[in-house]
Amino acid sequence: MKFVILIHSNPQPWGHPTCDTLAEFQALPPEEQARLGKEFDDVLAEMTERGELIGGEALADPRSSTLFRYEGGARVSVDGPYAETKEQLAGFFLIDVASRERAEEVAAYFSGPGETVELRPAMWPGGSDE
Amino acid sequence: MTDDVGLIWREQAPLVLTALLRRSRDFDACEDAVQDALVDAARSWPRSGVPDDPRAWLVRVASRRLVDRHRAEAARQRRERVVVDPAATAPAADQPCVVVDHDDTLALMLRCAHPDLTDASRIALILRAVGGLSTAQIAAGFLVPEATMAQRISRAKATLRQADEPLPPAAPHDVAARLDAVRTALSLIFTEGHTTSGGDRLLDLDLAREAIRLTERLHRALPDDGETTGLLALMLLGAARFDARSDEQGELIPLEHQDRRRWDRAMIARAVAMLESTLPVGPVGPFQLQAAIAAVHAESPTAETTDWRQITVLYRMLDRIAPSPPVALNLAVAVGMADGPQAGLEALRRIESPVLERNHRFHAARAHLLERDGQREPARAAFLRAAELTRSIPEQRYLRRRAEIR
Repeated sequence: MKFVILIHSNPQPWGHPTCDTLAEFQALPPEEQARLGKEFDDVLAEMTERGELIGGEALADPRSSTLFRYEGGARVSVDGPYAETKEQLAGFFLIDVASRERAEEVAAYFSGPGETVELRPAMWPGGSDE
Repeated sequence: MTDDVGLIWREQAPLVLTALLRRSRDFDACEDAVQDALVDAARSWPRSGVPDDPRAWLVRVASRRLVDRHRAEAARQRRERVVVDPAATAPAADQPCVVVDHDDTLALMLRCAHPDLTDASRIALILRAVGGLSTAQIAAGFLVPEATMAQRISRAKATLRQADEPLPPAAPHDVAARLDAVRTALSLIFTEGHTTSGGDRLLDLDLAREAIRLTERLHRALPDDGETTGLLALMLLGAARFDARSDEQGELIPLEHQDRRRWDRAMIARAVAMLESTLPVGPVGPFQLQAAIAAVHAESPTAETTDWRQITVLYRMLDRIAPSPPVALNLAVAVGMADGPQAGLEALRRIESPVLERNHRFHAARAHLLERDGQREPARAAFLRAAELTRSIPEQRYLRRRAEIR
């Protein structure tokens, strides 16, 4: 089953990996930083090995986005960012795993200090009749 | 390629591959050789006609291609050795070509069910090696990019190569566990096909039909294996309802509202006959019990006449030998149908758990029971909660509709 793992973060200045410019992450002792980094790399390698990682992208600064709306009978565009909140969508991964449990197991490793990771199931077209 | 050639190919490819694997353990080289033979067939059969014995033809051509590949590889290695070692060994003599005259489906499936592989890899390998499907077709069936599926398959093959198993694989005591893994994989392929109506129709792949075709072959190889028979019967009983489970708009029609005249009676009769012959023999496993439950539904002329007592008994047995949250849930539903909504609600209360709390079917079952018990508002809330949790678009529409009915 497919899920997206959404990384909500606010690196200052904007960049990737987000932990490079997150104060909360930088405040950690170096060995703790290394441990978190290695755990994430290991999970990513394992997911690649198992064919669970479909794709993903790191996203550019939310201020570089353009918003499109329909207002007063016309389509109009304005400059981003979209959300007023501090945390912005920084990147996403699309995964295909055997179960929700597996998705939760791997998604936990995408989180780090100072940011929130959202695991969202994808909808599928079919249904069961029972 | 014409449909005829395509069908012959899908039937013969695994047999040809098995024939080659008897001579070489290099899965990739054998597969490449088999693909080469297909290209040759696609080129020459339309002109010269399909040979009388297409398998012998394909094995002959594929073997020749495999030898060519080995020879080219050996020559390359020899050249390298000549540089470092003037006393290079002579090339190996060509081995005679062994034509398989029996179905090696079982050996190949057991090999694809290696314990080091994940279910996803086993599924992909079985469809590729036994089903003869292309990576593109498998990827389309599972709605993932072709590159992802290609990676999954090549990693799985690398794992098998490392394991370096002879064919037929697996020590006898491993066979039972591997067979379980094969059946699980086939059942997952069927479920995927049963629930996913998306995918690239141009590739014309019906995973449910493919799962049945493969299970039929496993059943032919192991006619006396009760669980394989049970799995096949279960699939046939599910497939018999395909046409009745959605309306013209593609909306989901649940079991109790389906037009039972649209069920495939011949398919149901075949599944029931299979079950009647296998159930009295030997130990009864989970697939046989699930099939028996499906058969009770299938044999009832209307939803109202369903023998819920018998279904309750069967779910109790299933709950004993293979307990799981979905089985507990189905048991509670059956109790509710047999003994009334309050008994069902009580059964649901007993099995509440954090896992089921997030399961849309738990809330849908509660909603149906609450509604039958006349508790309209709680029922509505439960339908809406179920709609929030489901990942299926038709199911979500159905549950929202139910929430609005007054």
